[in-house]
Amino acid sequence: MITLEGVVRPVATFDAVALGRRIGLAVLLATLLVLTAYPMAMLLYGSLHTTPPGEPGTFSLDGYRAMLGRENTIVLLNTIGISLVKTVLAMTLALFLAWIVARTDTPYRDTLEVLITLPFYIPPILTAMAWGMLATPKGGLINLAWTGLTGIRAPLVNVYSYGGVVWHMMQYSTPFLFLLIVGAFKSMDPSLEESSRMSGASAWTTFRRVTLGLMLPVTTSAFILSFIRGVESFESALIFGAPVGIDVITTQIYSLINHRNRPDYQQATALAFGIMVLMFGLVIWQWRLLGGRSFFTVTGKGYTPRVARLGRWRWVTFAVCVLFCAVTVGLPVGQLLIGSFFKYVGFYRVSMLTMEHYQAVWQNRLVWRALGNTLLLGLLGATATMLLGGIVAYVIIRTRSRIRRALELLAWLPWMMPGMVLGIGFLWAYALLPGPIQLYGTLWALLVAYVTLGTPLAVRTMSGAFAQLAHDLEECSRVHGAPWWTTFRRILMALAWPSFAVGWILIFFIILRELSASVLLYTVGNEVLPVVVMQLWSEGKAEQVSVIALGMLALVFLFRFVERRLVRTHLNWS
Amino acid sequence: MLTRRSVLRLAALTPLAFAAGPAAAQAPMDAEWKKLVDAAKKEGKVVVYNGAVGTPTLPKIAAAFEARYGIRMELLEARASELRERIRTEQASGKVLGDVSHNGSTTTALQLADGTFQPHGPLPNAGKPAAPFRVDEIRVPIYVIPYGILVNSEMVKPAEEPKSWKDVLDPRWKGQILADDMRALGGGAVFFMVTYQKFGREFHEKLAQQQPHMNRELRGNYRRIARGEYPVYLPFGLADILELKGLPVKVVIAAEGAPYVRFDGAVFKNAPHPNAARLLLDFFMSDEVQTIFANLGFPPVIGGLDAKMTAEARPLAQAKLLGTTDPKLQEEMLKLAKQIYK
Repeated sequence: MITLEGVVRPVATFDAVALGRRIGLAVLLATLLVLTAYPMAMLLYGSLHTTPPGEPGTFSLDGYRAMLGRENTIVLLNTIGISLVKTVLAMTLALFLAWIVARTDTPYRDTLEVLITLPFYIPPILTAMAWGMLATPKGGLINLAWTGLTGIRAPLVNVYSYGGVVWHMMQYSTPFLFLLIVGAFKSMDPSLEESSRMSGASAWTTFRRVTLGLMLPVTTSAFILSFIRGVESFESALIFGAPVGIDVITTQIYSLINHRNRPDYQQATALAFGIMVLMFGLVIWQWRLLGGRSFFTVTGKGYTPRVARLGRWRWVTFAVCVLFCAVTVGLPVGQLLIGSFFKYVGFYRVSMLTMEHYQAVWQNRLVWRALGNTLLLGLLGATATMLLGGIVAYVIIRTRSRIRRALELLAWLPWMMPGMVLGIGFLWAYALLPGPIQLYGTLWALLVAYVTLGTPLAVRTMSGAFAQLAHDLEECSRVHGAPWWTTFRRILMALAWPSFAVGWILIFFIILRELSASVLLYTVGNEVLPVVVMQLWSEGKAEQVSVIALGMLALVFLFRFVERRLVRTHLNWS
Repeated sequence: MLTRRSVLRLAALTPLAFAAGPAAAQAPMDAEWKKLVDAAKKEGKVVVYNGAVGTPTLPKIAAAFEARYGIRMELLEARASELRERIRTEQASGKVLGDVSHNGSTTTALQLADGTFQPHGPLPNAGKPAAPFRVDEIRVPIYVIPYGILVNSEMVKPAEEPKSWKDVLDPRWKGQILADDMRALGGGAVFFMVTYQKFGREFHEKLAQQQPHMNRELRGNYRRIARGEYPVYLPFGLADILELKGLPVKVVIAAEGAPYVRFDGAVFKNAPHPNAARLLLDFFMSDEVQTIFANLGFPPVIGGLDAKMTAEARPLAQAKLLGTTDPKLQEEMLKLAKQIYK
């Protein structure tokens, strides 16, 4: 500070704003440490100890030694290969579909936007059942039709293969990626693209270097999220890969926990930490890629995203979307819908027509109790997670706080850990929680777990949106005297509302489907829908599970309708 | 009211007398048991941790238990490995929420070795189970799941049906067998262990040459057989045939008998409702409950129920039993199965 002799030296004042900021950051850091680092610490202990927490044993590196074996290395390479192929294909498709929906005059875009996302909301076990019936080499409907049409007996498609595993994973990845990137396409300032064109760049160069270039924070985040989720994907590999000897890391972990006389948690957790280290390499790559660059597309200047006039080609793009929806939505959902009216899915005889599955679900008190609990947890969990994620993303993207990298790393942690291992971490952490807080055995244990699981997605969704907002908007608000919270709420959150809404819906439905942690934390009276679905499925009631899945899809339509209304209202308001 | 400590003391003093149920002990037993029933009613509920997810039996037994005693039987279901880790963590942390374990005998034996359970104390029905089933200090046998062969009745004519386990080695079934994975815990592992011990390694080496398609999607597999994707499935839980009415499938009980897994009940150490837990263990062995199991196709562990069985369930519940698993050999058997079925 510059001082002048003879001038009254300013008295050291109490800087309430700076102190409040520090306390806020400390609370944020502590929250993330409790949510993510604490369960991870329990898992780390498990990976370094011959017995799980609470049992006498010794520390050893046996789990990590076993992880480095040849078999695991081959499986890891296999896993990375499958996930990479799946993510590249899904990303290409999602970018194309998002461009069609957001930046062209393709007919019925609003309806297509909702339909394209539907596969994401269907429980994977049901789409697996549907695809098993459609594309099994022995008697699959597609292969029967192929043989009938061509006379060729060799099957056209075989879902029990690498291709089948990748295809089933893409059913979820494509709509997931589409949801994450379509908003960024919509919030693209056309003046940037027009400048490129006026400077002589071709349409393709402009798309590649300007449109996609400006979307790098969103697309790289989405790519990493999807790739990591692919590495941790379980159902597709278990159902379509394991029977024909295709092993991935998660099926190895599953085998260590479930197929041993005594579960080998030490090796299972060590393997999961091995994946985590590799995945952090991707995050660091993203930091280097994005570091020091600007991606502002939303500034104080008003604009309307440019829509490409496709002429006759708009019917081609329309056909592409319809084909995607027909294959990924029509075929599996059609099976579920038709199957729900028959005694058994796949046996479509008039004598087997029935409404008994709808009646059974309607009269099942457990389903309704679980639905009530799940909706409550979904609403609270998605809202709390998005608010927490929004604040964390703000600190990461829009401040120079020294702890922002620590916050980002902490926020990534739950996404890096396979669900079935993380669920064990929650169980150990909450049940062995020292002190008077009784978390295990309550509904709140599930809520805390869901917030933890959703935080990485919330942070990535909001980070991508905040990265597109120019600083002048925020500065303008604060210059006019608005406090930080008002600016955050009325400017940043209002402008990032489409991303907030998409993130909220994604997290809400992730909660509706989450099983790994739920099954380890629920108690009688606190049942949640995925657990009841698992019970019905194990009981052989696939048709009742179909009814529940169709109910969830109806919920999707309702939520998307409300979301679009809210987005429109907020955008008009802002 | 009976406290947990008094029950344990009583059990420790006279376990054999109560297990055998001699006449001399009957009168004091009646009085003690009445006290226990009153104490259980005051507890109001009992929480059962069930490792057989989706079993149709326990909800019926819960209804019967509540009707008989006015005590709510609550069910918490999870897959065996998840349930086991929950129970272990609850015991380690002292935050015990469950009262009674309902799980396969292998998992129960492993948990017994870990010190997960407490002695159940005297039970009036303890003498009822018929050989080879018996009650010990900790466990009560509840019922068994026997395994057979499921065939597609439109693809396999009666004359071609495999009548014996060894018939599935016939070359005609090469590439035609769908199987529950024998390399993982479950029905497949039960089948592997029992048939390995009865028929030797050669049987499985030949079965491996038949190239069975293996997975752990039990219910999905039944539908695949019914749809005609494969004509033969093994090992098939016999009672599940009652859930497949109207589909073109048929169950075959192999001539040598059915490998089986026994389900046991036991009370968790420091169970929050110890009296209701003990009452439920005894109830499991009552004629009422055993008849429920029998009529759902599960062989009961007590005798004398033939007249109460339905015609539909009788052949399933009376299936000849071949043998069951030995927990001490489980790890070795899983390794062997992985060697043989690569």
